[in-house]
Amino acid sequence: MSVSTAPETDREVSTSELISPDIPWELIVWNDPVNLMSYVSYVFQSYFGYSESKAAKLMLEVHTEGRSAVAHGAKEKMEAHVVAMHGFGLWATVQKGGDRG
Amino acid sequence: MAKAFSAGRRGITGFLEGPERDLIRKLFADIITMLEPETPASSDPLAALIGLDMDVRVPTDPALLRLLPDAVKNDDDSALEFRQLTERSLRETKIGALRAASLGLESDKLVLDPEQAKLWSMALNDVRLVLAERLAIRDEGDAERVHLVQDWGEADDVESYLSLVYNFVSWLQESLVQAMLVALQRGK
Repeated sequence: MSVSTAPETDREVSTSELISPDIPWELIVWNDPVNLMSYVSYVFQSYFGYSESKAAKLMLEVHTEGRSAVAHGAKEKMEAHVVAMHGFGLWATVQKGGDRG
Repeated sequence: MAKAFSAGRRGITGFLEGPERDLIRKLFADIITMLEPETPASSDPLAALIGLDMDVRVPTDPALLRLLPDAVKNDDDSALEFRQLTERSLRETKIGALRAASLGLESDKLVLDPEQAKLWSMALNDVRLVLAERLAIRDEGDAERVHLVQDWGEADDVESYLSLVYNFVSWLQESLVQAMLVALQRGK
């Protein structure tokens, strides 16, 4: 890994260019009538390392709202999460933050 | 009769009788067959290594689509592109969990460490997803309809038989996950 210092000329770069449009993305978990509430809670605790109460809150949001954004971050990370969720059998998608697909 | 799973000092233990193990083994084998890719891995060694599959298509069987869902909503091109990169390895993950769980069915007493318990819960979940699709469980009302079928004496058609199997596997998974949650809290 290399470390570089920005050359003088880069100081004019505006903040909007520095904030990548690819960040943040969201991982959405969708409700379905099959997955057990206990299992969804287990997945949120064991995979994401969320506390019992945070996992329960997100699980109930999925159950009552039909969906919950359970993780936010770089696109690649959310894509790794979505594959893991599908591995567990949860119905999940990735999207750019703010989209209400 | 099967006994509920429990979390103890030696791990998570459960008990299944012979016919119950035969049923679960058969269900796991059916799902493995569904998940085995129709085309061999790519002849391009690099593509094969990373699991890239440019020939992959969205599954036409709704039950298989539930096991391998789109990762992007309302954007078929992005969803297909993502599928080409990930579907083959997702199939392998699922087949791996189903095979591992099958291996644990050699004796009537099940003793699972946390990793084995996780693979078991994933395998049972995939069985339930497929059965639910076959039983047309689309909402909570459908789930309730299936849940009400509890009498093995009335298993006189495919639908009631599948409902009873679904309810048994659901009970088994719920009991396993409850034990896993207990073990998770103890481990903290």
